[in-house]
Amino acid sequence: MKKRISINPITRLEGHGKIEIFLNEDGGVANAYLQVPELRGFEQFCLGRPAEEMPVITNRICGVCPEAHHMAATKALDRLFATDPPSAAKKLRELFYSAFYVTDHTTHFYALGGPDFIVGPDAPPAERNILGVIRKVGLDIGKEVIACRARNHHIIQMLGGRQIHPAAGMPGGWSKSITETERVEIEATARKNIEFSLFTLKIFDTIVWNNPAFRELVTGDTFLHRTYYMGTVDEQNRLNFYDGKIRVVDPDGSEFLKYDAAEYATHIAERVEPWTYLKFPFLRNPGWKGFVDGAKSGVYCATPLARLNVSDRLATPLAQEHFEKFCEAFGTKPAGGRRPPVHHRMATHWARLIELLYAAERMLELATDPEITSPEVRTLPHEVTGVGIGSVEAPRGTLIHHYVTDSKGMLEKVNLIVGTTNNHAAISMSIRKAAEELIRRGQMVEETVLNRIEMAFRLYDPCLSCATHALPGTMPLVVNFRDPAGAVVRSFRRDG
Amino acid sequence: MRALVETIVIGLGNPVLSDDAVGLRVVRCLAWRLRGVDGIEVRELYSGGIRLMEALVGFERAVIVDAIVTQGGRPGTVYSPAVGDLFETRNTHSTHDANLAVALEFGRLAGLRLPTEIRIWAVEALDVTSFSERLTVHVERAVPVVLDDVVRFLGVAAGACNGAST
Repeated sequence: MKKRISINPITRLEGHGKIEIFLNEDGGVANAYLQVPELRGFEQFCLGRPAEEMPVITNRICGVCPEAHHMAATKALDRLFATDPPSAAKKLRELFYSAFYVTDHTTHFYALGGPDFIVGPDAPPAERNILGVIRKVGLDIGKEVIACRARNHHIIQMLGGRQIHPAAGMPGGWSKSITETERVEIEATARKNIEFSLFTLKIFDTIVWNNPAFRELVTGDTFLHRTYYMGTVDEQNRLNFYDGKIRVVDPDGSEFLKYDAAEYATHIAERVEPWTYLKFPFLRNPGWKGFVDGAKSGVYCATPLARLNVSDRLATPLAQEHFEKFCEAFGTKPAGGRRPPVHHRMATHWARLIELLYAAERMLELATDPEITSPEVRTLPHEVTGVGIGSVEAPRGTLIHHYVTDSKGMLEKVNLIVGTTNNHAAISMSIRKAAEELIRRGQMVEETVLNRIEMAFRLYDPCLSCATHALPGTMPLVVNFRDPAGAVVRSFRRDG
Repeated sequence: MRALVETIVIGLGNPVLSDDAVGLRVVRCLAWRLRGVDGIEVRELYSGGIRLMEALVGFERAVIVDAIVTQGGRPGTVYSPAVGDLFETRNTHSTHDANLAVALEFGRLAGLRLPTEIRIWAVEALDVTSFSERLTVHVERAVPVVLDDVVRFLGVAAGACNGAST
């Protein structure tokens, strides 16, 4: 007989999400799962529509990462219409995508994940936000964050046509080229982004890595899992957000799979559990063995940490320098093959900042590429293949769009594997492990449990809702303790 | 031109997620009614938190229209919570962003010029998880109610809504 603890942080502004913790008879943790609500009917909503509408429909799935959906959809259309974009169009797409990464990773670090460290993991919840970061680091950092977001949102709008829901992606290319004046502005923005990224890495180094307690949190066993890792790499096995092959390494770091996005169904299957509508993707080989670590379990992880773990190196100099420092810090030196992965999930925050620097540097490389102002940004499509599969690295994991159409390009089937979905099993495992360490014989310190569990899922930067804008309701965080019959025997809440 | 615009009206929502689009529907209609009226900018926005705060920068007065889901709320009910009420919901459980209260405080601390008056209209939604471009019936009926309230608040002579409801 199991007891069940329900942590229910539902305010619609943040997106729905609920954590279920099942206790065993001894009052220890039996299992833990993250649950999010199902958004229904997307496939039906799309069927019968012209496939070329997908880049502007799918970017409305989510107010957080519309750029990622826009790009995956656009790349799927390239395949569907058998068209290869001109080189300048591919570079514009990647430039746009790099600016998006800078804003997304910046926001996560300063507003979401970073406060756990910068303000402190045991600080009052109302302080563990960007306001707490400002109080700790200084007012100027708030201004820097706002300036960073503003200048990159402007670039996103310039390149993508709109600031939130971009519209420039088209099968075979990009709808507009850029002028020299625009290029100069993008270059200046990229240079500022590099400075800002380096500054942010310094903050991490000073406040987190040089603090023994925080370093222990990052390097300790509480947030450690030995799983497979997934990410996209270029032809030299270097990190790439926009294009390349999907690479999977095993828990020892050896290359396990490397495949084109079109082959995803050969390697990835989705597990359905009776207690949730969530799907849990896993590697077909070795297969689903439950929510467990190890080489025999098909559970994998697709996050900034995962992307660094699958990359042999990073393609830009400063990011590579920090990548080497990162590997050295965790002692992951190659031993007869690839270097072992970093399994400490809290290191994801650091990995995210290295990616931030990579995105900024890549932005500069592209902005100074002589081809970037080329007017040749479109290859017109001439046929419909009937199938289009495209992928990108969304900030929170590998994103795949799969479309099937009739001979006129009208949609007959749509399947998406979104970034967070890849990590559903891993997130549940991290929550369970955090809870296991803190809940013994049904005893726990409420605040500590809540804080650590929040940290466990926040490191994955999960996307819990595609309607993240609605005004908040009145249920910030509720924890219910239920007896074996399911009745609530104790309840507490956090209002923030 | 921006210097002449003192008020911003923002409709928040996902345009393809059923009742979640109610804020967008209201401001589309409002934009039609306010055609020719100076000093008011009407905008659709698809993301909240810091991005919403950033959209408010530079305006003296702001109106926000959005969907809301409350425990036991009756679909179509129109609320007009004060921003102060939102501070009570401030928390750190956000996975992607700050909530509006934190975002506003963040902006003010960073020295941004934010509206001195922010009014919020929220419509209790029935369905915010199904992909559809239609509102449910009770929420649909709330659209003209909110619209009239907002127009009254803005204190402008506005025309009739015409064809902006789809």
